[in-house]
Formats: sequence, C-alpha cells, structure tokens
Amino acid sequence: MARRVDNLSQIMAQADEEAEIDLTPMLDVVFIMLIFFIVTASFLREFGVDATKPPSVQQSQTDAKSIAVKIYSSGEITIDGLSIDPRAVSAQITRRKAENPDAGLAVLAGKRAKTALVVGVVDSARDAGFRSDPIPISELNE
Amino acid sequence: MRRTVLDNSQDEEEGINLTPMLDVVFIMLIFFIVTASFVKEAGIDVLRPDAKTAINKKNANILVAISSKNEIWIDRQKVDKQAVRGQIERLHAENPEGSVLIQADRDSQSETLLAVMAAAREAKVGVSISAVAD
Repeated sequence: MARRVDNLSQIMAQADEEAEIDLTPMLDVVFIMLIFFIVTASFLREFGVDATKPPSVQQSQTDAKSIAVKIYSSGEITIDGLSIDPRAVSAQITRRKAENPDAGLAVLAGKRAKTALVVGVVDSARDAGFRSDPIPISELNE
Repeated sequence: MRRTVLDNSQDEEEGINLTPMLDVVFIMLIFFIVTASFVKEAGIDVLRPDAKTAINKKNANILVAISSKNEIWIDRQKVDKQAVRGQIERLHAENPEGSVLIQADRDSQSETLLAVMAAAREAKVGVSISAVAD
C-alpha cells in the first residue's frame, strides 16, 4: 500500500472505498447475456399425435383379432375389407372395439396415400380409445 | 448560490440504487437460460393436418419436416431419404431427452412419412406427427 495510514479511522475509510465495486462491466455482460437468451428463446408450442412404425417383420402377419384400417393410395379407406367414409372411421373403430375390447389396431397406408388421411385415421383411432400406446402405421402392399 | 444548491441535489440523485434492477435482470437471465431449449427448426413451413386428439408435445425437439413435394427438411437443410437416420441420431446425441416430431404437410405422401418413421425407429427415438389441434 502506497499511502501510510496513521490511525484506525483512516483504515476504515479506505476499506469503505474499496467495498464499492464498479458494477458497470458486469451489468454490460449480464445485459448482453439476457438479450441473447431472449432472442434465442423459441417457446415452441407443437401439438401432435404419437405414432410408431413396427419393424417390417410384423408387417404381413396382421393379428386376426386386430382392427386393420387400410388407406389406399386412391384415398379409399377400408376396415376389414369394408369401404368407409373418412368421417365414419372413428365410429366404426369405436363399434369394433366395443365388440372386441381386446382388439389391437393397425393402420396400413398405401405409398401415395396423403398424410392428411393417415393422420385423420390415427386421430379417429385415438378418439375411439386407442390412446395409451402410439398407433402403429405400416406400409400397405397394394 | 441557488445554482450550487441545485447542482448538489442532482449529484446526489445520480447515484441511483441499482440493486433492485440487478435483481430483476438476474432473475430474467436465469429464467431465459433455464427455458432455452435450442430447438433446431426444420426450416420450412408446412400445412399441418387437423387432429382433435392432438396433445402438446413438450419434449419434441428433433423437428423433421416433409413438404407437399415429399422433400425432407431437418435443421434448415434438405436431407436425402437415406441420410435421415444419421441426422436424427446426431440431433438425438446432442439432446438425448428429445423425441422426433414429424411436421408432415397434409398433401405429402405416406411413403416419405413412413420412411422418416422407420429412420426414427432405427435410431430408437420416439415419434409423433405434428397436427393442428382444433
């Protein structure tokens, strides 16, 4: 220390001076960080339905009990061979599930079937009570 | 004389107490750090299909978009069908808690959708399809 201190009060005064840290550089850094995190914050709010694609081995062996919803490339939807209106899919699945509560569900989509139809069927299936597990979607061999 | 009195009072006011503002700034900073998820947007806007059972997906941060022309986009880049799995694995390694969200256009074809789903399955990541909840 360059300056000689004579008594206690002088020492105290010096300590007081040093206690006042200049906060400006820290404030600058904190503000820049704050602005960075505000700008990068994206707050993504996405809604979706769970789905899964079973391994190709399972594909052909559709369980006899399960409800197979087929979506053809032409846009036609069939359940167990019966052609069904897209709006009636939910009701049909509900009815079949009521007849056979243990039945599984399989969605088979043709190569050129529109995503809107596929998601519509998945939505109908979830609406009909298949909510706990992701809905399996496989390829349909036309 | 009057002047000096005024100057003095201004001098005193210059030393504003920054502590409450600093507290607020720090709390905001910590909030934004904690909520920052660094989601890599897919890069294109798609027309999502409607689904009334769609639920909010909070941890879906691997975004894969499929355009109406069946092009696959990940992380603002157009990706080849064969390269989707590698890209998903890379993003999954960066953020192991995330699952895949496929933003498929309602006019895209299910062949591409199923290819992306198969890639995600091979990468052992959960999949959901983005939809508009109405």
